[in-house]
Amino acid sequence: MTTLMALLRRDLLVAARNAPLLLMSGLTQPVLVVLVFGNVLPRLHLVAPEFRTVMLPGLMAISMLMAGVQGVLMPLMTDLAGSREVDERLLAPVTVFGVAAEKVAAGTIHAALAGLVTLPAMMLLMHGVIGAEVHPRWAVMLPLVALSGVVSAALGLTLGTHVQPRFSGLLFAVVIGPLMLFGCAYYPWASLIALGPVRYAFLLNPLTFMSEAMRLAVTPDVPHMPVPLLLAGLLAFGALFTIVGTRSFDKRTIL
Amino acid sequence: MTAILSVQDLIKTYPGTRKSPPVEAVRGISFEVEAGEFFGLLGPNGAGKSTTLGCITTLVRPTSGRIVVDGVDVVRDPMAVKRRIAVVPQARNLDRDLTVREVLTFHGRYFGLPRAEREARADRLLHELQVAEKAGAKPLTLSGGMQQRLMIARALMHDPKVLLLDEPTTGLDPQARRLLWDTLRGLHRRGLTLILTTHYMEEADRLCERLAIIDHGRILTIDTPAALKRTLPGGQILDVWVRGKTPVAPRLGALPGVLRVEKVERAEDEEGGERLRLFVDPGDGLLDRVLQTVRAEGADLRHVSLTAPSLEDVYIHLTGKELRE
Repeated sequence: MTTLMALLRRDLLVAARNAPLLLMSGLTQPVLVVLVFGNVLPRLHLVAPEFRTVMLPGLMAISMLMAGVQGVLMPLMTDLAGSREVDERLLAPVTVFGVAAEKVAAGTIHAALAGLVTLPAMMLLMHGVIGAEVHPRWAVMLPLVALSGVVSAALGLTLGTHVQPRFSGLLFAVVIGPLMLFGCAYYPWASLIALGPVRYAFLLNPLTFMSEAMRLAVTPDVPHMPVPLLLAGLLAFGALFTIVGTRSFDKRTIL
Repeated sequence: MTAILSVQDLIKTYPGTRKSPPVEAVRGISFEVEAGEFFGLLGPNGAGKSTTLGCITTLVRPTSGRIVVDGVDVVRDPMAVKRRIAVVPQARNLDRDLTVREVLTFHGRYFGLPRAEREARADRLLHELQVAEKAGAKPLTLSGGMQQRLMIARALMHDPKVLLLDEPTTGLDPQARRLLWDTLRGLHRRGLTLILTTHYMEEADRLCERLAIIDHGRILTIDTPAALKRTLPGGQILDVWVRGKTPVAPRLGALPGVLRVEKVERAEDEEGGERLRLFVDPGDGLLDRVLQTVRAEGADLRHVSLTAPSLEDVYIHLTGKELRE
């Protein structure tokens, strides 16, 4: 346990030192989207004002997904591709599973902080804008943010141990991109009833559950997925990615 | 004397993929290292040295065989083994996001050292390994030799019983190499057990008390460098390079004073001819007799040299090849 806490401490220290960079990379996207879709387009009457309320929790979920995935995936890829800094961790008195679990824990904190920073930033940008009905319920939000963080970080572990670094650009274009577009970030799950049975395909996307969880926590007035389904989805994806990611981490690191 | 490391019948086969067949990296290796010994694994790249080291350090899973470090089985209790050993890996893997000093203190944290102890130890090791002036710098800004010394300092932070070094001097300039050798000798004098892999004959000869020469995943021989050199027939080595129409090896081998003739293969040899290594007992007129024999065959003697045997000669004698780079 001492070793795990020491590893986590190291990761948080390094993240704190890189905080300005992390903030920039985490905030740029949601801020720009809020500006265009929450400010410009509604003024031009190209987008319904309610869209802002729908979009905000989705953007929060996207920032968490990106922060969690990138926080684990990027260092892991360079590590496995040659820098092998991970070997020092594997040689510390901790199990291989422990090393992987610590990566998920650090990524979770990373993702959760990204979500918690994005929300007030977006609220500030939309301050006084009509049609943005944001009422965060913190007690509900914090556990859901933590759970969403685990899903994101564990997905980062899974992807980072399966994808060669030279395909990392492709990964974002082909995997992360579609996840963002088809993850109920810009439309609530409830509205997908219009698509008929096709809507169930969206349940294969972890972001769907994250977006709906944030909807439940931040914009209670917008309809959201039933809570049991939502929790089941987050838990199932969290468990699946943790198990798959940890296994492949073991395979990639211990030859 | 007790063995601090025992490797028995170690086999490691890396599973194949669709595109590549399985690789038998280690094919049955056994050896023991005594506490306080400076032991070397000498062999060309791809001989199985690093895989053997990986199995000892828990980073490679043995296919079969048994490894015991200080009474602890590596496969059964890797955590206990990791507390007893330290590794200086072949690739420089210093934590690039920390400072030089933090590399040491965080390593101490990973091993649960109390604050006062890890701070004191970090300061001591920074000085001992001559990296103190760079304590606040990032590791990647250090020279290769300094990074190597920092990796040794990091390894010593948790006070291991056995220090394993995987080709520690590869890529270092001669000066940095010598400094590293002095450091390793100092650690050995203090009683630390050192296990080193290298493909540099000189390094193995100068540092190691005992050596295993390893090739194609098997140990060819284990002994002290001096004893290994004594296994060569005769007291001296006469290398000759002859170009002629008929091979002269049989005639030379029949000369009195010549105990053995070996053909030396050289991959880069484009000029042809016969390169021979004669293990000789140099007595009166031996060189004359060799010269006369070559002339009598109508061949051209291109090169001749008489040397005391080195580890490299032992290696060539054992494998019939010059060390593959």
